[in-house]
Amino acid sequence: MLVRVKRDTGSVAALGPADEADLIERCKKLDRTAHEELYHQYRRQVAGNLYRVIGDRTDLEDLVQEVFVIAFRGLERFRGDARLSTWLYRICVNVALGRIRTRKRRPNAISVVDLDAAPADPSLVERPETPDRALERRRDQERVYAALEQLAPKKRIVLYLHEIEGLDLKEIAYLVDSNPVTVRTRLFYARREFYNLIAGQDA
Amino acid sequence: MKHVAPHRWADLWAGRIEGAERTAMEAHAKDCPQCAQTRARVTRASDSFATIKNQQAPDLAWDSVRAKVHWTVSTERRAKLPAAASRGGWLAAGVVAAAAVATMFVDRPAPTVAKVIEPIAITPKPSERDAVTPLTGLINRTTGGLMIDGLRPADPFRSRLRAGDVIATGDGRVDVQFGDRSAFALGPHSRLELVRFDSQVIELVVEGTLDVEVAPRTAGQRFTVRAGLREIEVRGTQFRVIHASNQTAVACRHGLVAVRDAGGLREREVGAARRLVVPADRPVLTEAVAVLSIDEVTDLAEATPLTMPVWDTGTLASSAPLDIQLPGNERRAVRLDGVEIGEAPLRVRVMPGRHTVEAIDPHGRYRRAGWVDVVAGAKQPARLDLHPEPARTPANTGILARRAQLETGIDRGKLAACTRAAAKQGLVGGAYVQIEISVDAQGNVPFLNVLETDLPRKLADCISGVLRDVRFVAGPTATWREQIDL
Repeated sequence: MLVRVKRDTGSVAALGPADEADLIERCKKLDRTAHEELYHQYRRQVAGNLYRVIGDRTDLEDLVQEVFVIAFRGLERFRGDARLSTWLYRICVNVALGRIRTRKRRPNAISVVDLDAAPADPSLVERPETPDRALERRRDQERVYAALEQLAPKKRIVLYLHEIEGLDLKEIAYLVDSNPVTVRTRLFYARREFYNLIAGQDA
Repeated sequence: MKHVAPHRWADLWAGRIEGAERTAMEAHAKDCPQCAQTRARVTRASDSFATIKNQQAPDLAWDSVRAKVHWTVSTERRAKLPAAASRGGWLAAGVVAAAAVATMFVDRPAPTVAKVIEPIAITPKPSERDAVTPLTGLINRTTGGLMIDGLRPADPFRSRLRAGDVIATGDGRVDVQFGDRSAFALGPHSRLELVRFDSQVIELVVEGTLDVEVAPRTAGQRFTVRAGLREIEVRGTQFRVIHASNQTAVACRHGLVAVRDAGGLREREVGAARRLVVPADRPVLTEAVAVLSIDEVTDLAEATPLTMPVWDTGTLASSAPLDIQLPGNERRAVRLDGVEIGEAPLRVRVMPGRHTVEAIDPHGRYRRAGWVDVVAGAKQPARLDLHPEPARTPANTGILARRAQLETGIDRGKLAACTRAAAKQGLVGGAYVQIEISVDAQGNVPFLNVLETDLPRKLADCISGVLRDVRFVAGPTATWREQIDL
């Protein structure tokens, strides 16, 4: 039984189940317009997911491209057990995991955080931030991503999905293609390691 | 009270700790500066989670990403399709059937070799601006049959195309270069007449499919393509014209072309990634320009005429044809020195030297097919025969044997001793240790590395020690990765 991950799609307009089924069917028939529609509908969600997991925009376009290529390749096998957005999120997680692993092997090739470059969701910003507050927020995020960088990729993903995205064990297990017990174990050690790192960071 | 573990402060922040324990922790933080500092840091990190969660992706070059996605997907799909079906889309509808002419091909003696090859793309010097230099076209690639002036040339690569020549194709296509980054490709079952072909005016008359890529021209240079009652004025760079009995279609990938009725003054401009289809019985101005789909743009990109990287007389004199052949009627996409050049069998003009050829496999991946040495000015074309895809090698039986020995040789008692403490906490279920191990012919283990685990390092080291104690007998050499699930 697949679980549904509660996510804001961030797309132009969320599709209803009937529209989504129709879109998937048309994609399976290799309808070009349907492919375009799917891309247009989910591109921001996919980019947002990848961006938040990775923490910087280096190669973000390549990663988005990879997600959609995998999705279009695999649509024929998509059975509709999960929502399309959930399925795409799962692909995002796997692509991000691959990227984090590559980065671990080549640690000098990237910068860690540039989250400040992107605007926060405007609906959540009540009043303009003071420069001090913005700087403080940026430093906090940098610390979080610096600590995440030091975790093993699998631990990092489960920690991110649980602590930041707020997903439960079943949802995470579906996304990382594992079982909830393994996720729980991984999360236990990941949290301990992560918060130890946070506690040990210089202010 | 002992110091509070940092992750417990996160639990407190998340509201997972209530009652007496919460009170005790808060009281402890008041008395313990170290824990107070830890709590502050954890709280700040936890506060920033919400900001991160609501972070939006930066704006990307969405169109570029979309184009790359569709390019990749459609290329893969094409590779899976049979060769005959691989070129479809709206362009197929306009191709004129002229297969009958292919049966009339006869040998034609090679014409005299022109010594000067003046590309149109080179800007004439001020003193030479009014001088008209005849252009010469060289064939860079051929697939299928070809006729020049009604005769089949013995070696098309020795032919020099000039004004007045007429080219006709059978079921393949021919690519002709006439300047630096200036070339045209005549599609299957098509006919092209070079009415004027000099540095000032190029005038082509086409029936069938013509793809053109032309370098920017200087003022005063004209390039027109006539297709039935239509005239296409070229203003740059890559476009395609398909003229059939019932309609004329013009599609532009880069730059701009203008389409007008023959003798007409008003014209319709077709910009980049646009197309115009004009039925035979209607004037140009009644038809609207439409946007090309990604598939159509991809199709145009794939049809780009092949050009030589260097275009000067000396270099071209040393170039030579290379035949890439396949057994039977099979057709496979090939890459030459990493550049896709179409489906073999084909003949292509190359520079002298060693060239690597890759051919696509049934899974759509390019695999090295071999290399070939091309000698400057060789009379006979160099030839490379592609061989059928070799059968996959059977699974490494050495690894299977060594893996079985590892499985049976693990001391389960020692392994249980390692994991006992973790098992009591219920943390072992689902955990794993991934290792990379090598065993030589004598049964020695040159290396055993723990690649990844979700267990603490101490526990992983203990398990690794148990694995190192496994004794292997003499046998095959093997290196492999193994995941030990606990």
